[in-house]
Amino acid sequence: MKELDVRGLSCPMPLMRAKEALADSPGEILVRADSGTAKANVVALLADEGYAVSVDHTGEEYVIIAKLA
Amino acid sequence: MRKRRVIGPTAAVLGGAGLFIGALAAWLVSRGNPGNMGLCIACFLRDIAGFFAGAVTNQAAVAYIRPEIIGIVLGAMGAAVATREFRPRGGSAPLVRFALGFAFMSAALIFLGCTVRAWLRLGGGDLTALWGILGIVAGVLVGIVFLKRGFSLGRAAAVAKPLGWVLPALAGLLLVFALMTTLGTKPGFATLTPEGGRAVVPGEVVVKPDGGTLVVVKPEGATIVGGAVIAQDGSVLADAEAVAATKPMPGGRRAALAVSLLAGLAIGIVAQRTRFCSIGGIRDAILVNRYDLLFGVGGLLVGATVVNLLLGQYVLGFAGQPVAHNDVLGNFAAMGVATFSAMLLGGCPFRQVVMGAEGDSDSAVAVGGMLVGAGFTHWAGLASSPAGLAPNAWLALGVMSVLLVAVAVLGSRKTA
Repeated sequence: MKELDVRGLSCPMPLMRAKEALADSPGEILVRADSGTAKANVVALLADEGYAVSVDHTGEEYVIIAKLA
Repeated sequence: MRKRRVIGPTAAVLGGAGLFIGALAAWLVSRGNPGNMGLCIACFLRDIAGFFAGAVTNQAAVAYIRPEIIGIVLGAMGAAVATREFRPRGGSAPLVRFALGFAFMSAALIFLGCTVRAWLRLGGGDLTALWGILGIVAGVLVGIVFLKRGFSLGRAAAVAKPLGWVLPALAGLLLVFALMTTLGTKPGFATLTPEGGRAVVPGEVVVKPDGGTLVVVKPEGATIVGGAVIAQDGSVLADAEAVAATKPMPGGRRAALAVSLLAGLAIGIVAQRTRFCSIGGIRDAILVNRYDLLFGVGGLLVGATVVNLLLGQYVLGFAGQPVAHNDVLGNFAAMGVATFSAMLLGGCPFRQVVMGAEGDSDSAVAVGGMLVGAGFTHWAGLASSPAGLAPNAWLALGVMSVLLVAVAVLGSRKTA
């Protein structure tokens, strides 16, 4: 599974990195984010690109797991 | 084959947020705020700086604790805490962010408004805002060049918990001062533009309405006789024609404290939940072909336009617009520099305030840079007036452009 860490990055870096990571259409991708905004942006991007997305919110970060539907 | 959506469901949410904020901002003007200034992060932070330092920074006309800012911070903080998004974080080049906030403010005060007010001005029919909006697009494009080259101020990380509360604590402190000033008397050190106050001779002769008639605020001992301002020794300080021609100073135009505070709270909650940004829409559309955020500023423009039309506040044209000037290149360049600065910060000043309220200490530092920058810009005589740009405004814009490019070039070498 492809992994991406966008923790601590200012806008629009999380979105740019996520978009780059999706360039080769990975079947499954895990993204770590630590702000609500980065989480929301990445989740919206993944959903729009046709991924089924689940988010796990631990105390310090969001772990976003997306599978190509 | 992947199903690719260009516009997602968040477009409707952001469009709704923009409509709400734009409509509320236009309504605030009808409740007393300055023309096309129902919401302006730069102007409001500038007014707050004026309250504390106005005596030194020459801000008698723009000195008032804007309760909208307090409301936005507390509303956004509440929304972030309620959704477990409040998280003390920081450490991503705070000093550079301070400088970027400072530069943003200086440039915004040359335009006369922030990237939010640019849209609200257009929503009031102020066509001079178009030059500013072209400047926003230009600033976004320049920022994108550096983002594509890998520009980053570095990653933020978790910081000691108290650091996350800096901006909410400041908002609490401002609330105390605002209540003290409104319900009692202002503290001795503070500067406060009198409500409805009009500067007949800026800094020298000031009058304000009091129960249907005008009274003299400054100089002491002067009175109004037949509409003219007469000094204690009987000399005419300003004739009736000059008095009648003056308009209220921006700092003296305000909605009631509770109205502004509640509107700010609502705006803060909506902005935190939807991540509304006044430059991100254009940025994302060009940079990553995502259009959702663009619906935010679109909604802002539509909401403000509709409510301004309904309230009879819509005045279409280039001339005589409230708190605006029609220096085409000046408007374009100032908003271009301001937007470039905001691009390097990662969001518009509205977003900086909201993120600061979510525990982002770097954003709080950027807001601090804006407050200090506002005081400096007025002290140095660089802020524009409705008559146009100040003599040294172009020099200031040139210096800021060089510094911003330097920050962008140095920041682009990092790859982490």
